[in-house]
Amino acid sequence: MFLALIRNEILKLLRRKRFAIVVGIMLVILTLVSYSQYRQLREMKNANWRAELQERIARYENRLRRGRINESWARSMRAEVRRLQFYLDRGINPEQPTAPLVVRTFANAAGFLLLPLLIAVLGSDIVSAENAEGTDKLLLTRPVRRWKILSAKLVTLWLFASLTLFVGGALSYLVTAPVLPAGGWDAPTFNGFQLSGETFSVDHVRQLPLWQDALIAYGLEWYALLAVASISLMLSVMFKSSAASIGTMLASLIGGTILTRISPDWTAGKYLFVSALPLADYYTGQAPPYDGMSMTFCITLLGAWAVAALIAAYLLFTKRDVFG
Amino acid sequence: MTGALVAEHLTKIIGKRTIVDDVSFDLRPGEVFGFLGPNGAGKTTTIRMLVGLIRPTRGAITVCGYDIRRHFEKAMRCIGCIVENPDLYRFMTGRENLEHFARMLGVGQSEIERVASLVNLAHRLDQRVGTYSLGMRQRLGIAQAMLGSPRVLILDEPANGLDPAGIREIRELLRNLAAEQGLAVFVSSHLLAEIELTADRVAIIHKGKILRSGTVRELISSQRAMEIRVGDVHRAAEVLRAKGIEVTLTDDTVLAPIEETQAPPLIAALTENGIDVYHARQRVQSLEEMFLDVTGGETVD
Repeated sequence: MFLALIRNEILKLLRRKRFAIVVGIMLVILTLVSYSQYRQLREMKNANWRAELQERIARYENRLRRGRINESWARSMRAEVRRLQFYLDRGINPEQPTAPLVVRTFANAAGFLLLPLLIAVLGSDIVSAENAEGTDKLLLTRPVRRWKILSAKLVTLWLFASLTLFVGGALSYLVTAPVLPAGGWDAPTFNGFQLSGETFSVDHVRQLPLWQDALIAYGLEWYALLAVASISLMLSVMFKSSAASIGTMLASLIGGTILTRISPDWTAGKYLFVSALPLADYYTGQAPPYDGMSMTFCITLLGAWAVAALIAAYLLFTKRDVFG
Repeated sequence: MTGALVAEHLTKIIGKRTIVDDVSFDLRPGEVFGFLGPNGAGKTTTIRMLVGLIRPTRGAITVCGYDIRRHFEKAMRCIGCIVENPDLYRFMTGRENLEHFARMLGVGQSEIERVASLVNLAHRLDQRVGTYSLGMRQRLGIAQAMLGSPRVLILDEPANGLDPAGIREIRELLRNLAAEQGLAVFVSSHLLAEIELTADRVAIIHKGKILRSGTVRELISSQRAMEIRVGDVHRAAEVLRAKGIEVTLTDDTVLAPIEETQAPPLIAALTENGIDVYHARQRVQSLEEMFLDVTGGETVD
């Protein structure tokens, strides 16, 4: 019975062709990325990556010395300097363009804005569209309890959130493999940089092959996207129009990010879900916008947001009067 | 009360407005029940309460013996409905729509074929609903409502937006479903002529209250009168009053609240008294006239 409900939801989602649009958007973006990486590779053929990396570190340090940049930026820049230096000291190029590295980078780069937005697009259709098209009246007058219907929608949305991430990862390999070195899954990576206050600690740094590092990053990103999917389900229940629910998600992602970056003094900002969203970035060693945002904190925070959103969504969906 | 569907003291209050006020009725198997009222009278709110979309502030709804709040699934298995427009998934074909709802009920392919042929839609079933005319969507909506052989069919304004042929087709379909399959059919409308032709019993709702209810025949016969056009209305009135009949007068006719069978001796009496009788006919007040009478001709926005 429940499987039949899920089958219905999957069918509707595919029939609306939204997932095709999502895959299309990722394909276009990844093609552009792959082209730019290819050009970078050609330019770097003759260049010395050590010299380039040193130059970049020097540039960051110069800007830090000059001051006049906001504390949040300064912190993440200092962390980045230390991270790059760590690679440089060990004679490892962290940005050797290979197809596997593009796959790995996709988790970080897309995980923060692109994937949440695509999921908001999928999620907004799953409830709002039924309201807007009037089909909710039929859906809710069948002998199936409302919580079961919403659960089928939630499972479907989680399924497609996972699929979006997986297809994104797979596409980033397929699109870049023809033009970049296809191998390189064993390239060494470092992770476990810790940043608390002014101290940047490398005590817990581990060396992992790229494929393992990528798996961890994708795992974190998957978790973050399930949380985003749950929040987007709530917005979809709350708003009658798809545009309003996509818009709210977009505004909170962008607005939240701007807010946390321009006003680092407003420490309550660390409880916004967008602060904790780039889990893969923090795992790689980028500094979160606020102090005291450990990985455990971020994971718990996202989980709490997701649970709160789901409670709100279920209460609203099962209790409310459905008017025209 | 026993019936396929029983609504008792339904009341819906939103904020300070009472939208539906103490509405009670029951639907019996094999009959078409007409729910009549102007737009904004509370028809749709009542229907949404019957099918579990809106929670009544007070009152109870029992379908096939099951309370809709406590046994939602069992009660809803007994109901098929269209609320307002027949909104189906336009991006899917008719068959995919039926399959979608059949899956929710756990019924199979044969049931889909059955309901599709019931509404004469089998030939267009594999086209997208977006390409359907309103009449076809209305029929697909009824097919959808008939999935799983419900005992109660609830249709909100089924004649809305249909051409005369379509209205007649739907009317005949509903009459057949009630007569042949013993369904209890609930039809709301603001079109009196439509309800008069379709329904066995009628309830008239206005400003959230049921003002009058009964069989269509009862409501009409309570308003029967003979209309007699005569040469001299005042003398005619005298003659009739002498026989104990209260008449009302217009310029050239007297209106007597009597049955047709009582008319011949009275007409004879009139001619015996030298009054010219030009014309006598039974006047039936249409539901429309009665409705305007009952509601005072008010409309609500």
